[in-house]
Amino acid sequence: MFETLALNAPSWSDLRHFVPETVLVVTFLLALMADLFARGRRPAGPFALALGGCLVALAAAVSSLPAGPRSILGDLVVVDGLAGFFRVLFPLIGAITILFSWASGEIMGPRREHKGEFYALVALMAFGMCVMASAADLIMLYLSVELVSLTSYVMAGYMRTSLRSTEASLKYVIFGSVSSGVMLYGLSLLFGLTGETTFVEIRAALLAGRADNFALLVAMVFVLAGLGYKIAAVPFHFWCPDVYEGAPTPVTALFSVGPKAAGFALMIRFFYTTLLSPGGGQAAAGAAAPDGVIVGPADWPLLIAILSVVTMTYGNLVALRQTNVKRLLAYSSIAHVGYLLMGFLMLTAAGLEAILFYLLVYAIMNLGAFLFVIALNNRLGGEEISDYAGLSTRAPWVALMMMVFLLSLTGLPPTAGFIGKMYLFAEVINRHWFWLAVVGALNSVVSLFYYMKIAKAMYFTPGERAPLRLEPLHTAVLILLAAPTLALGVYWTPFKNFVDRAVAGFAGLGG
Amino acid sequence: MSGDLAFYGFAALTVLSAFYVVFSRNIVHAGFSLLFTLFGVAGLYAMLAADFLAATQVIVYIGGVLVLILFTVMMTRIPRRGAGGRGLDRFVPAGVFALLLFALLYKVITGTPWAEKAPVSADPTTARLGASFLTDFVFPFEFVSLILLAAMIGAAILIRDRRPAADDGAGGAAAPTGEEERS
Amino acid sequence: MTIGLTHYLVLATAVFLTGLSGVLVRRNSLIVLMSIELMLCAGNIVFAAFSRWLGDASGHVFVLMSFAVAAAEAAIGLAILVEIHRLRRSVNLDDLKTLTE
Repeated sequence: MFETLALNAPSWSDLRHFVPETVLVVTFLLALMADLFARGRRPAGPFALALGGCLVALAAAVSSLPAGPRSILGDLVVVDGLAGFFRVLFPLIGAITILFSWASGEIMGPRREHKGEFYALVALMAFGMCVMASAADLIMLYLSVELVSLTSYVMAGYMRTSLRSTEASLKYVIFGSVSSGVMLYGLSLLFGLTGETTFVEIRAALLAGRADNFALLVAMVFVLAGLGYKIAAVPFHFWCPDVYEGAPTPVTALFSVGPKAAGFALMIRFFYTTLLSPGGGQAAAGAAAPDGVIVGPADWPLLIAILSVVTMTYGNLVALRQTNVKRLLAYSSIAHVGYLLMGFLMLTAAGLEAILFYLLVYAIMNLGAFLFVIALNNRLGGEEISDYAGLSTRAPWVALMMMVFLLSLTGLPPTAGFIGKMYLFAEVINRHWFWLAVVGALNSVVSLFYYMKIAKAMYFTPGERAPLRLEPLHTAVLILLAAPTLALGVYWTPFKNFVDRAVAGFAGLGG
Repeated sequence: MSGDLAFYGFAALTVLSAFYVVFSRNIVHAGFSLLFTLFGVAGLYAMLAADFLAATQVIVYIGGVLVLILFTVMMTRIPRRGAGGRGLDRFVPAGVFALLLFALLYKVITGTPWAEKAPVSADPTTARLGASFLTDFVFPFEFVSLILLAAMIGAAILIRDRRPAADDGAGGAAAPTGEEERS
Repeated sequence: MTIGLTHYLVLATAVFLTGLSGVLVRRNSLIVLMSIELMLCAGNIVFAAFSRWLGDASGHVFVLMSFAVAAAEAAIGLAILVEIHRLRRSVNLDDLKTLTE
């Protein structure tokens, strides 16, 4: 009953352009097998394999930055500058997560089981996120989102004898499945409207005027529900605080940067490819890639602008009331999604560069802040703000490093967060979205209050005085994250160049 | 026409049993009602000339997912009141929301000039699908195997009993035994 | 009027919204999981219907993938549910209050 399709079957040689991803899958399988032979309380084999695999994937990604877009595996996956950027970011996040899980009591404590599988799942999730960043077809969009979600559910419920962890996991499963159901329905409408499943062909169909604008908008809103849940933008954020609070902290750290960045990667690729036409746009002066022109409903950037404002305002205002640091950071991460969405709706190469730069910076500083929580949870057994009282005398260097992360999250100089926000706001103002810039700036001021609540507890609230020594591994990784947070605030040109190259090679903007 | 009649039959079966799943007070009845919904959907696939989908629907959904659900229904042995109030206070807003959304989607569906072609003859699709899974769609095919592997490992991590004495609490401990992990 | 594409789409929408209302209304997490299965079924029907009327096999591929994903999701969801039931002898969402402000 079907017409024969032109067979463009993938060949083995496609895998040459898919090395980091292949390495991650092999890592996952090897770590699983190594776990079968792991004995003793600490599964060194799976840990070493997963960490090594992530580092090899990272090295492979850095050494093979794709020059231009290349469609592989039957046109279902595209490897371009954007994918190249994210396949560097995700193995890095995976490696850092694995490192701090190794010394975390929540993952490695005596009552935990399946420690080896945990490391294997981190590698698998990194793979899923890489595919999310390079999916070029509705099928891969759906499947990669699902792979990341499913591994997330398991990792959230990893402390299975803990009521909090299991409850977080159940909430995650329910919200996640509902939004994936909504997204599936939207995808099916989109397929019906255009008759295509590949992003590029969907755009071609839309350009040919084959779809009704209103129906397209409805379908896109449904799809946005699925992607918005991944990045935890506001009407789809309900799971976020509970899951972040209940999940083991290393997992929370991973969730707060990994799937979020992957969700952004997918949103950028999907919306910029299907709803933007490259080339014909007004090329911004000095921009590496031309900016796009909107295809389909003309108002959708405004819709995203509203989403962005609501997201950042809600996240910041609710964060003010939090006393649990994990929950506070959860709301703050919602607020950061709001800032990132500002860059997303600019639809320009410069906006995209700002998003990628901010995602990189955000990954470093947020992982740092969570690592601080993990390291102290190991020693203090809690994560309330009051637990940190007097920390500046008990562990002055650790408190200082946390100060750096907090300043960076607020966006104050001389930290990386300041530079990231500067690029974002510069582009927003450049494109004459003044009201948006004002709301964003006000929100940053609000965020100062709750971040400084943590600082105040550390520096001005008297507490115990006995010196506190952290796990050496934790201290080492903390330094590893604090250093770039400071360094990037002073000298960021190489990273900016790296990001600019990625955007210049992004297929969606005609790179 | 008999085709029309069959469609309306399957449609009625699907929708009515779906309603029963969602609104029934008894969870066992809801589970069995889901069986009829899934059968109805399988029938719809058959009418859409999707023979392979219809068969897979029966095998995977009814043979797999539904059995899993019914097992869980039995395992969790929810007491009668456990099915819970039906949440009547939520019925009205949710109903209004659903109806509004239905009106919107109905408008979209009927108002859109779908790019449809006249359906061609209903040839068997299995060979075509099999070929495409090993050619064009071989990557998603492999990808799904990873998803299933992840699900398998995940389910094992979540419920495998390694130390039954410590975890299970099957000794009639009705009180929540969730240790708050603060180690 | 013969049965056309629109009939299938309206039917699928009805199933989808039934499932969605179930998610919104019911507090028993098992019923919620069943409602989610209904939502997924609705998406699948739309794909199959468009596949028929567009003469394009990718819809069928999508549905088969979605079967596998639904099975995986159900396995994980039900595993977590059983675990929750072990810990607190209830699968009612209103009882899940450990993590509220």
